[in-house]
Amino acid sequence: MQATSNSPPSSRLWPRIVLAGPLAFITAGLIMGGGALWLPEGAEHIDNLVLPIVLFPAIWALVFFYACLDRRIGRAYWVVLIAALVNAALIARHLIRS
Amino acid sequence: MVRLPQQEARTLLAIHGWSGVLLGMLLYAVIVTGVASVFADEIGDWSSPLAEVPAERFPPNSGAALKAFAKTVDPQFYESTFFFPRAGGRLYTFFHRHEQDADGEPIERGVHADLDPATGQVIARHEGTGEQIEQLDAPNALANFFIDMHVRLHVPDPWGLLLTGMLGLAMMVAAVTGFVIHRHLIKELFTLRRHRQKLLAMRDIHVVAGTWNLPFAFILAFTGSFYSFSGSFGIPVMAMIAFGGDQQQAIEAIVGNPPAGDATPAGIGDIDAMMADARRRAGAEVSFLAVEHWGRADAHMTLFMMPAEGQLIGTIYTYDGVSGSWLSEKPSLGKVPSAGGTLSALMAPLHFGNFAGIASKAVWFALGFAGAYVTFTGMLLWTQRRIELPAWRRFGRGVAWVGYGLPLSLIVVGYAYFPVRAAGGDVNGAMMNLFLVTAAISGVLAIVLSPALLRGVLLATTGVSLAGLPLLRWCSGGPSWPQALASGHLGVIAIDVAVLLAGALCLAALRRRRPAPRKAQPSVDATAAGATQA
Repeated sequence: MQATSNSPPSSRLWPRIVLAGPLAFITAGLIMGGGALWLPEGAEHIDNLVLPIVLFPAIWALVFFYACLDRRIGRAYWVVLIAALVNAALIARHLIRS
Repeated sequence: MVRLPQQEARTLLAIHGWSGVLLGMLLYAVIVTGVASVFADEIGDWSSPLAEVPAERFPPNSGAALKAFAKTVDPQFYESTFFFPRAGGRLYTFFHRHEQDADGEPIERGVHADLDPATGQVIARHEGTGEQIEQLDAPNALANFFIDMHVRLHVPDPWGLLLTGMLGLAMMVAAVTGFVIHRHLIKELFTLRRHRQKLLAMRDIHVVAGTWNLPFAFILAFTGSFYSFSGSFGIPVMAMIAFGGDQQQAIEAIVGNPPAGDATPAGIGDIDAMMADARRRAGAEVSFLAVEHWGRADAHMTLFMMPAEGQLIGTIYTYDGVSGSWLSEKPSLGKVPSAGGTLSALMAPLHFGNFAGIASKAVWFALGFAGAYVTFTGMLLWTQRRIELPAWRRFGRGVAWVGYGLPLSLIVVGYAYFPVRAAGGDVNGAMMNLFLVTAAISGVLAIVLSPALLRGVLLATTGVSLAGLPLLRWCSGGPSWPQALASGHLGVIAIDVAVLLAGALCLAALRRRRPAPRKAQPSVDATAAGATQA
């Protein structure tokens, strides 16, 4: 961010960039993949597959803006990591069972 | 008007600026080529017209011509077939089977032909993978050059798609933050003041164009990143989770294609009669025909219709491939309507703007052009405000290079396409080489010339290049205007005129001067910065 007196120091900026950048993207990808397992299938049995793909940009945007705007970065890390881990665990369990 | 606490507003403002600055130049390339791609069909018709303009997308006996061609194709490629009109009205067909490449990625291998819509004769025929055939597709190569840059920046899959997907997300972020940080959104829709300071005038135009463009920018960014990520990331992930990694099986299940059933050899039904029936049912022209299991008892036809008047999405009908009897109206995904299928079907008209013919395309073109302008002026404003810092001065030169050099580099690919195609050479290689050479020369000029002189040289060269394209097209074997008038190629003349007008506009723009980089003037810079931040 712009180097002004109002900008956060880089020691606080980089953790935020890591969270809103790669971690937010990976989390959105895991939510998309996990959605195939917890979303309703619908009458044609494809909603759980199609909706997460179509809504992926929106999922990413939600995670990204939350990661940017939560004033308590520690809490933001916890929320994002929990969302990622829950979906990763669902996917892993499904793959192991199948 | 959105009221935010100061800290959040500052964060969003920083995100708005940096999302544009970090990826703005690539995003500009994607938007500019996207604007051109809106008229990809028309560019194909303009660059490769046939002797006569077909009266319909599928003239009478098109189906009979397809059946005649199928007899010359090895039955191993009967698994799947496309049939639709492309550049100049050539009827493009691709009989193919599905395979996996060395990396396990799904590919198509088969036989392609362009059929003359007037006679049904084979104009061109190639065999190979879908990618190899596309490389040999000279009639559509000019339009494909723009589309490939728009879709994947000419970077191989999946990296190019991932890159443009990221750019779409950055554009979405810029649109959302642009909406939130504007404290006086309604007022700024109509605020275009006459400033003596060019920087402030440019800022006003940026804000007005950007504000009007916000909803459209959001829609394009969302749908664009959906298209980029669905193929490169979404479908592979879903295939891994639900189909054991088999992407082809995932696609067929989601699309709702019937599984292979009865392989008994059988003739194919009357395709022209099926198309006539579909036209009558939909009240619209056929857009695209797909055939599964050609020559077998389980042959299955899917006819994709153009949107009927007042509709956003075209209807899809399925037919029994052997008897030709109508089977069902099908949603775009699956066999019965679903939330996912409906949402997915909306993506195409919203992204391509092709639901109401030339009228909606013209609107999408104009809004896309405004988006390119907003991206460019946003980067210019950002660098102008930081012009005292050497790093930003260098970045400013980069912005000018891409802003003026990219359109020029795209225009000159026509100077490779027309003569090389007339000579029967490799048009794709020639276009890419000339594009890269022009971009490199523009880059050198960006280093050695002042920004004002660079703008003048690149704009003048772009204007002259545009003005010369119709002449080059004609000299390379294309129809002259009298010939085009006589044969009904009004689209060729229309694009010639549009190209000449664009050239004239570039030359006219030379009379207007951009604000020259200057020493900081605190009062003006503070006003501009504050205004931009508002």
